[in-house]
Amino acid sequence: MAEPIYEVLARSAFVSVTATLIAAVIGIGLGTVLALARLPGRRLMTAVVNTGMAVPTVVVGLVVALLLWRSGPLGDLGLIYTVQGMIVAQVLIATPLITGITMAAMQLLPAALPDQLRALGANRAQLVVRMWIEARVPLLAAAMAGFGHAISEVGAATIVGGNIHRHTQVMTTAIVEHVGRGEFAPALFYGAILVTLAFLVNGLLASVQHRGASWART
Amino acid sequence: MGANLILRQVRQIRGGYEILRVDDLDVCDGEHVSVLGPNGAGKTTMLRLLAGVDRPASGTVTLDGVDTTRGGVELRRQVAYATQQPGLLSTSVRRNVELPLRWRKVPRRERARVATAALERLRVAHLADRRAHELSGGEQQRVNLARALALDPSVLLLDEPAAGLDAQTRSAFFADLEQALADRTATVVQVSHRAEEALRFADRVVVLVDGRVHQVGAPDALTLRPADASVAALVGYDNLVDATVRPDGSVLVGGAPTGLVHRGPVGAATVAVFGCGVRLVDADRTGLSVRVTRVTPGPGYRVVALEGAVSLLAHLPIGCPAPLPGDTARVVFESALSAVLPRAAEFPALQSSAVAIRSAIPASR
Repeated sequence: MAEPIYEVLARSAFVSVTATLIAAVIGIGLGTVLALARLPGRRLMTAVVNTGMAVPTVVVGLVVALLLWRSGPLGDLGLIYTVQGMIVAQVLIATPLITGITMAAMQLLPAALPDQLRALGANRAQLVVRMWIEARVPLLAAAMAGFGHAISEVGAATIVGGNIHRHTQVMTTAIVEHVGRGEFAPALFYGAILVTLAFLVNGLLASVQHRGASWART
Repeated sequence: MGANLILRQVRQIRGGYEILRVDDLDVCDGEHVSVLGPNGAGKTTMLRLLAGVDRPASGTVTLDGVDTTRGGVELRRQVAYATQQPGLLSTSVRRNVELPLRWRKVPRRERARVATAALERLRVAHLADRRAHELSGGEQQRVNLARALALDPSVLLLDEPAAGLDAQTRSAFFADLEQALADRTATVVQVSHRAEEALRFADRVVVLVDGRVHQVGAPDALTLRPADASVAALVGYDNLVDATVRPDGSVLVGGAPTGLVHRGPVGAATVAVFGCGVRLVDADRTGLSVRVTRVTPGPGYRVVALEGAVSLLAHLPIGCPAPLPGDTARVVFESALSAVLPRAAEFPALQSSAVAIRSAIPASR
């Protein structure tokens, strides 16, 4: 039985938004640490992040599937072919992108800014929060890029989620399935929804960004 | 209340090079000290150490007896450091001033009151709701200073506070700064490469050249008795020429008498003379023989370029008859506007500034 479209749409949004939020927390935190802290192994970590940005999503899906497979090291969690498993995969896909853009954003701020904030009496947390506010526009761009990457990927969603109707099917996997059957009309319909959704989310983020700028002005 | 700042055996290293060396320097509670030096002398490096932003490679910097690198954020909050670049945050002017107060948990109403008062004192209260990045350079400098003053710090550190401003704006800025500091008891350390700014309202001036303290003293002492040629050049002497001190004390330049008498070491020396201390006399009188090469107008005087055994610049009051290029004359140096110094090339950089600095600290402080 065909699954109602709104369910597929809601599941897609839930998976990608949740994955983006988790990836943003990890990515912005990690990107900030890599940009500001003088840690041993920082270069290696940066190289790992940069490589992660270029890894095909299907490879990420393969690795996550091997980890979550029933006989795999994390098989006891029972996450293979579940929405939660798909979120894990999408977090791994979006995190390197958000981390990389965050690093670049923090490094593009004036080099003297951290010292300036310290000299004004900021403690570590106040310093980091203020730097995020100063870099709010590229950080929002990082989140947008992460969301776009997550919602548009199909490889990991297929491998980890299995494209199970009423359970793990999302719009991208539905498009692949319909095209495989030669049903182009529903595939195009999902494609249009995806584009519209991406447009709406980006519009929302831009609005938040604008409001953030207005708030900062007052 | 101000605070005592003490530097002991401080060294700072960058890229394998020692960029600052201060053996012994005390800045007393409530004192206004200027650090004067050319670009790259280590002035900002010293200020960053005083602010606790950087840690010295060796030695200690203490604020009221507490090591600035160990005092943490509470110690840093006693210090307000206005950096050379205003570094205003991408928010409103008011929020820029209020934010460091919020970090110090100052209640909202009090923050607004203090910020407004600080902005008014620097004459930028009308800009309070503008975005900081929309302001002109001069306005940003004023907001930067207002932000520092609003913190009512024990120690106020000013790094070239008027950098990038034109002469007229600088003058107005310093007049307002002077007024803003007049009713405060904070210890102030100001850094500048301009003598007129460094000497303007300092109790003492530290002259820093190539990362070394060359002289510490009251503004007048530095002007009248510079320790060496580099200090003389920094405090505004227009002429530095090689000279010889004879056993009878007369000072010769190019073998000709200068009118100066020096009671000090005999032999090679450097004479520093302000432009207004170079006096043109009749050609038949004794003095250094020169030829006028150029006459240009200056503010209230004429700048006369002279060539002889050495090149000299003389400042002649605008009312005096002006010589013409090609005229010959003799010059002598006014002793009150001249200083006889150790020969520049032979003057050793102070290996230890302790004696000079200690002797310059007023006993009453």
